[in-house]
Amino acid sequence: MTPSVTACISTEGLTKQFPRVTALENLTVTTEAGVTGLVGANGAGKSTLIKILLGLQPATSGRAHVLGMDTATQGVDIRRVVGYMPEHDCLPPDVSATEFVVHMAQMSGLPRTAARERAADTLRHVGLYEERYRPIGGYSTGMRQRVKLAQALVHDPRLVFLDEPTNGLDPQGRDEMLALIRRIGADFGISVLVTSHLLGELERVCDHVIVIDSGRLLRSSSIGEFTQATQAIAVEVEDGLQSLAERLTAAGEAVAVQGRLLTVQVPAHDEAGRTYDAVRDAVCDLNLNLVRLEQRRGHIEDVFKEPAA
Amino acid sequence: MTIQPTGVIHDIGYRHYEGERLGRGHVVAALTRHSLRGVFGLGRTAKAKIMPFLLAMIMLLPAVVSIAIMALVKQQGLQYHDYATIMQPVLAIFLAAQAPYLVAPDLRFQVLPLYLSRPVTVLDYLGAKLAAMTSAMFLVLATPLTLLFIGELLVDLPGPPHTTDYVASMVSAAVLAVLLASLGLALASFTPRRGLGVASVIAFYLFASTVSLVFYGAFESMGQDDTAKWAMLINPFFLVDAVQVSLFGTPPSNGTGYPPGPWACLIVIGVIAAALSGLVLRYRKATSS
Repeated sequence: MTPSVTACISTEGLTKQFPRVTALENLTVTTEAGVTGLVGANGAGKSTLIKILLGLQPATSGRAHVLGMDTATQGVDIRRVVGYMPEHDCLPPDVSATEFVVHMAQMSGLPRTAARERAADTLRHVGLYEERYRPIGGYSTGMRQRVKLAQALVHDPRLVFLDEPTNGLDPQGRDEMLALIRRIGADFGISVLVTSHLLGELERVCDHVIVIDSGRLLRSSSIGEFTQATQAIAVEVEDGLQSLAERLTAAGEAVAVQGRLLTVQVPAHDEAGRTYDAVRDAVCDLNLNLVRLEQRRGHIEDVFKEPAA
Repeated sequence: MTIQPTGVIHDIGYRHYEGERLGRGHVVAALTRHSLRGVFGLGRTAKAKIMPFLLAMIMLLPAVVSIAIMALVKQQGLQYHDYATIMQPVLAIFLAAQAPYLVAPDLRFQVLPLYLSRPVTVLDYLGAKLAAMTSAMFLVLATPLTLLFIGELLVDLPGPPHTTDYVASMVSAAVLAVLLASLGLALASFTPRRGLGVASVIAFYLFASTVSLVFYGAFESMGQDDTAKWAMLINPFFLVDAVQVSLFGTPPSNGTGYPPGPWACLIVIGVIAAALSGLVLRYRKATSS
């Protein structure tokens, strides 16, 4: 098996220069099948990267491959098997969701009868039922986002680019959209590249996270590595929190007091259990009453702050 | 005792599409068909059907009246080669009303990126839109001409049928359709608002026909009749009539004639090329940002 079969997206030294700004700078990154999150602040270059990957914009320098196809020369072939949900509003108000999605399926090359079947199926999967026969103009933001997602999935792509799919949604709508994205990756078997500027969101659905800032790669790793790197344990004792903290600091542990809790960092490269042993020994030696000892999963935010610091 | 279930609802889950995926040619054809239907309001609201069908009916009226005249007095009514120039305001209104529908909503509601994220290029998209508008203009003009010809054959006027005249008018209908469609789409694409698009196309027609008349009158009053004939070519309908005159030798329908030679043909080609370049440049700009 060649690497291009397993790699979903791969870029090598990808650079995109606009007259005034550099949108992407020497970006080299590889993703595999599954749900990949692309994180960055607004203007970090996420949308530009998607446009290059769709073969809609040429890169200034460097190369990019999507599903083993070169974006510079095989744009049309890529767009046949890839779906795209843009960040902006993109729906005409005077047609119904069904008509619109059927039309978009035909624009991806599906014959008319197949387009009708696929549109009905896809709209059901994204959670639009009777309302799909009404003109889109009367839809709520949540329903519009679902129609946008449906048009990206209707031709059964092998990979979808979702640009800020949770934008403008209320917390419940956000949860539903994220659950849907998780299902697309897990149940539908379609690889997903989802962008967001909210890191916590992606943590819940992604297998792999890429962090970019001002067009440069800050980090690319699996979600496991992300949270493992900042694995921490929370310790709660009845009295003597301060003395425990001092004792552990003296033993060379990274300790922080957070209210009634003591957070101890567990370095990823640590030999197994050294930190746990240190906590146990310290609590025993000081004769403290241990109330709680639990693992704390680190949040991506903490990692994101690291390189900047 | 429990009741045996007689039916079970299965959640079949997500199914992959294993069927056929058609090539770009089919996609462009589908877009053309969809756009052409839309021009006549098919697949749209009832309100959207009123205008195109009303105008198409008005286009048919002179043909129907002509057939009645032929049947009653055994004399040809309206001539084939005059049809387009006599009905020019109706054709201009049809163009102005329908060309913006084809381009403006996709720009205004930003649907264009969805087309371009599929195996459709900007040129495919524009080609489909242009083909749809051209076919619509041709249908609206060629249907009454053909009806008139069938009427003439059925009525069986004395003398041979005007077949050459009919063919000439059909060819110039095709030229007129391409010219008007490219001009109409180019003008309409410069604004994402449909109302403004309608206004700009109709304003262009009024401007061209008025300027043409003003120049014609001015040159004629100065005694420069040959120069005055050039002024006639500013109006796109007379320009295409001049093409018909130079290609088929039909009598000019403006009464005065046009400058001799192939100039009208060259100008038509030039205007179509300019309109199409404007259209492509407009979309290059719209898609690069």
